[in-house]
Amino acid sequence: MVKIENLNKFYEIDGQKQYVLNAINLNIQKGECVILKGVSGSGKTTLLSIIAGLDKPSSGKVLVDGEPISKLPDMHLSSFRAQKIGIVFQNFNLLDGVSLADNAMVPLIASGIGLKEAKLKAQDALKLANIDHKANKTPIELSGGEKQRGAIARALVANPNLILCDEPTANLDRANSLSFIQTLKELHNMGKTIIVATHDSLFEELDFEHRVVEISQGSLVGRG
Amino acid sequence: MNELFLNNYVIVYLFSEAVLFLIALYAFFKDISILRFWDFNNFSSKQLKLEKQSYLLSTIATFIFTLKLTLLIYFVYMIDSLSIIIPGAMCGAGVISANSYGMSLLFVKLITIFTFLLFLTLNNLDLKAKNYPLLKFKSWVLLAGLLLIFLETYLDIAYLFNIDLSVPVSCCSALFGNLEGVNPLPFGLDIKMLLILYYTLFVSIILSLLLDNKLLTAVTLILFAVISYYAVVYFFGTYIYELPTHKCPFCMMQKEYYYIGYFVWGTLFSALFFGLIWVIIGLLKYESKVLKRITVTSLVLFVSLCSAYVLYYYFKNGVFL
Repeated sequence: MVKIENLNKFYEIDGQKQYVLNAINLNIQKGECVILKGVSGSGKTTLLSIIAGLDKPSSGKVLVDGEPISKLPDMHLSSFRAQKIGIVFQNFNLLDGVSLADNAMVPLIASGIGLKEAKLKAQDALKLANIDHKANKTPIELSGGEKQRGAIARALVANPNLILCDEPTANLDRANSLSFIQTLKELHNMGKTIIVATHDSLFEELDFEHRVVEISQGSLVGRG
Repeated sequence: MNELFLNNYVIVYLFSEAVLFLIALYAFFKDISILRFWDFNNFSSKQLKLEKQSYLLSTIATFIFTLKLTLLIYFVYMIDSLSIIIPGAMCGAGVISANSYGMSLLFVKLITIFTFLLFLTLNNLDLKAKNYPLLKFKSWVLLAGLLLIFLETYLDIAYLFNIDLSVPVSCCSALFGNLEGVNPLPFGLDIKMLLILYYTLFVSIILSLLLDNKLLTAVTLILFAVISYYAVVYFFGTYIYELPTHKCPFCMMQKEYYYIGYFVWGTLFSALFFGLIWVIIGLLKYESKVLKRITVTSLVLFVSLCSAYVLYYYFKNGVFL
């Protein structure tokens, strides 16, 4: 599902290369759940952003579902991301002033799907994330856990095979975090490929099949 | 120093051209880099940088094209306004023929616009694919466009520097008027045959576009453009001016004639450029209904506009000129 070969990401500051990611090699199979573990600043979010096509590597190959995602022209990248990848962000990134149902529809707008069909898919996604009863609420009216569920619904609306979660429990309490993990388990059982970047210790006690990949100072610790 | 360079229009024009020259120079080296090192199957740092650079070049090319198009219109307006300080000139026709660089400059300007329009079309097609299949070809086209800008800059300076304000130039009546014993029309044509050819070629182009015949479209378009130039100057223009002896491609761009010349020449070149681009991309096995539609629309507008002046004069006066 995700194949990374010799990935490097650096920034040039005063003529010096500052490496954020260094010679990353990682293979993630379809249906696998991978926990990308590392402290703040280890490069987890950067790696996830590159896999999502939100950032480009400095060098190296990144294949997502067989596509060299870092080389896709913008037009193809946008539609690829909208159709194949669901992203759950640390800060939810929901649109204020817009209902949860409309937030969930956002990835479908890029796909060119008709409004009627988009509304139905959004409803299904909200149901899957157990937040359909709050469909008409705006983010400001929701708790952290509810917002996170809304973000999950948005990530699932296009039925992507790959779900990326960047510090999904950073703004949640323990109860909501456990609820989120339960949702992840359900998604894993549905055959979704899941990558979670986190330093939350709760993810060390998962009760479903998963793999932990540790990242430290931009490099993988052990084999990827 | 030639006091022409103190003219406001000239200052603005040269400053804009200078900015474009510098941008084109930057783009030139980036484009060379892409042509030399591009390898899509490579995942090295250099290749990924080149892919980002290709986006930058597209943006630069769009900017250059937009500015070039604006500057072309501005250039025509500028040379028309210079006619009051250049002795003998009554309009842009006299000013542009003040020295041998003028017409060459105008010609290069048109070719430059065409080249960048071609690049932008190719770029649009290229980005619709996943693996940049037209990258090398469009980069060569861009290189040609950038070299034309450098040539244009040289011609700009040569043209303006070599306008001698102490030497009177010919006005349009001397340049395009009837010279005894000299037929200004090509291929020994008379006006009647010119018009027959004009309308026949118009119909041929429409038919060739409908039949998707690339070669016929290209040939008839180029012929039509040449014939149209003479038809507008020596026939249709006289109806715009309502004077049989007034033959000039530039006067119709003046305020007195409601700047109609911009629309006349604009629609003609639009049809020519978009039509030729349609042919070129067709040779690369791409199809574009939009380009075809623009070509047909521009052509119909051009012919209608020219014919309308003749019909209007006839219905107003009951006779032809």
